[in-house]
Amino acid sequence: MPDLDIRNVEMRFGGFCALSDVSLSVSSGKFITLLGPSGCGKTTLLNIIAGFLHPTQGSVLINGKGVTSLRPENRDTAMCFQSYALFPHLNVHDNVAFGPRQKRVARAETQSRVSTLLSQMGLDLHSTKLPNALSGGQQQRVALARALAVEPGLVLFDEPLSNLDAKLRDQVRSEIRSLQRELGFTAVYVTHDQAEALAMSDEVFLLNGGRIVQSGKPRDIYFKPKTRFVADFIGAANLHSGPINSGAMTTPFGPLSVDSPNLSMSTVCWRPESAALGGPLSGVVSSAAFQGSYLDVFLTKDGETIRLQISGDQHLEVGQTVSFGVPRDRVVIIEDTDTGQANA
Amino acid sequence: MMSLPRLNTILATCLITTLVLWIVIPFAMALMWSMVDPGTSWSYPDILPPALSFERWRIMWETSSLKTAMFNSYSLAPVAGMIAIILGAPTAYAFGRLTFPGKGIAQILMLTPIVLPGFVTAVFFASILVSLGFHSRYFAILLGHVVLFMPYAVRILSVSFSQVNNEVVNAARDLGASPFGVFRAAYWPAIKPGLFAAYLIVFILSIEEFALAFVIGSPTFTTVPTILYSYLGYDFIRPNAAVVAIVLVVPNVLLLIVLERLMQSANPANVSGKG
Ligand SMILES: Nc1ncnc2c1ncn2[C@@H]1O[C@H](COP(=O)(O)OP(=O)(O)O)[C@@H](O)[C@H]1O
Ligand SMILES: [Mg+2]
Repeated sequence: MPDLDIRNVEMRFGGFCALSDVSLSVSSGKFITLLGPSGCGKTTLLNIIAGFLHPTQGSVLINGKGVTSLRPENRDTAMCFQSYALFPHLNVHDNVAFGPRQKRVARAETQSRVSTLLSQMGLDLHSTKLPNALSGGQQQRVALARALAVEPGLVLFDEPLSNLDAKLRDQVRSEIRSLQRELGFTAVYVTHDQAEALAMSDEVFLLNGGRIVQSGKPRDIYFKPKTRFVADFIGAANLHSGPINSGAMTTPFGPLSVDSPNLSMSTVCWRPESAALGGPLSGVVSSAAFQGSYLDVFLTKDGETIRLQISGDQHLEVGQTVSFGVPRDRVVIIEDTDTGQANA
Repeated sequence: MMSLPRLNTILATCLITTLVLWIVIPFAMALMWSMVDPGTSWSYPDILPPALSFERWRIMWETSSLKTAMFNSYSLAPVAGMIAIILGAPTAYAFGRLTFPGKGIAQILMLTPIVLPGFVTAVFFASILVSLGFHSRYFAILLGHVVLFMPYAVRILSVSFSQVNNEVVNAARDLGASPFGVFRAAYWPAIKPGLFAAYLIVFILSIEEFALAFVIGSPTFTTVPTILYSYLGYDFIRPNAAVVAIVLVVPNVLLLIVLERLMQSANPANVSGKG
């Protein structure tokens, strides 16, 4: 299976810079996600990998070979489109057989690929239906089967689950991942849903405003965000700003221990579920919502609000004062230079 | 407040009345006039003709130039439709799929022939054709019809082209389709209804076109509308005019029904593939 290398790619549309200096590499057989808010350039980057767009600068390498000027039909890639983009006049079978037929794969081989894929996707009974007659989830599967029928080394997914309802989304998500493990293709998966990215990926590339702002394993992205934007975009985050003196930052809730001796103005971040009841900090409960496995608590003090997620068997009343602590190694210092882009 | 069934009844009555006034009565009158027996005249106070026969139809068919006129009209229209489509498609593609500076203005300019009165275009068009040395009236009128009606074809086709889904085009390319394969998989299904609709519109407009055919063709080259005019003007013969009117109208109504079907199947929901 191929690996993918993107080097210093820039994409301009007229005066507008949709991607700037994007570099990333994916090793063979890995599943990576491009995560970011709507409009940050995810689809543009995917289109550059597929060959629908040509970058204004930089290069794309598949298996170490430059493909920047290669046409889409000559690349070892297949795309799963956000709108599925099925051929509306072809039935399910012919949609899936389209790629092999265009590539002049032998008839028997095409037939066996199509029937294997259709049964793998649970679409056997629908093979003569037109796409219009299928549900969203079924269309999604046809789109996936159609892409896989050309046996691509690199599969590109553009928010494939965004048109499905929540329950189906979880199911198709794990189906995609196990198919990928089984067939071994390299996958580039685009999403704006951080939960999807964390759950599926070997590596996450977080984009904002056309740049990669952080990349890494899901755990590292989640627990060690580098900037305020990353902290905010991935999950819920509590942020405090101020100087750090002898390993602690003074917050309205009390002294928060930080793994760093002295720093002038800095910003720190910790996750709601890192907190535990009992400790040097305290605040007044302004709301507490029971979520089954956990209790979602908002504490206020001096006009500031933070969020805690503690075990669901605890019981807290609104108005009650609660003391809590955050382990030192769960508090990370972040750069706070991209405040302006945080809500982009 | 009025109950809904009652309101529906009133609306239905209005609709039927309008249909009767606009379509059924004129058409029935034309039909009756065309079948007035030449031997017995139909005059006040008779509400219906005293005797009906197909005599007028026979006379018109055998003695007038209706046959030639029909041949002219029905050989002009299909060719005009074909040429308008072939010449209009590239422009429509540009309007529907590309962005370029001045596109908005170009689209408006393209439509201006539609709002000019037919005779204005006809008179000046005729003089251009003469100075260009066009001596065949058939080709002059054909060219005129193509020029006059291509805007309609371009308009319809550019909507069709804009409905071609970009992602479907990309999907076809991605899966290895040749340019022709991409056309067949992504373009053709989306533009097919529009192509037929545009063809039929030009066909119908060409069949009905009077001003240009009259200015260029008269007196020797007749089409169905110009022959109709000749029965309304100097020597007014109502039954003969009625025969020609029916010959002119009935095929067009049938074509219009086909057209309506095509326009319905040109529904964008059928080509988007989104669910
Ligand atoms: N063909 C284009 N012409 C001009 N601007 C474009 C074009 N395609 C995308 N853009 C712009 O580039 C930015 C990134 O778009 P896109 O990659 O689709 O974002 P995402 O998929 O992350 O939501 C957007 O601001 C969009 O308006
Ligand atoms: Mg997108």
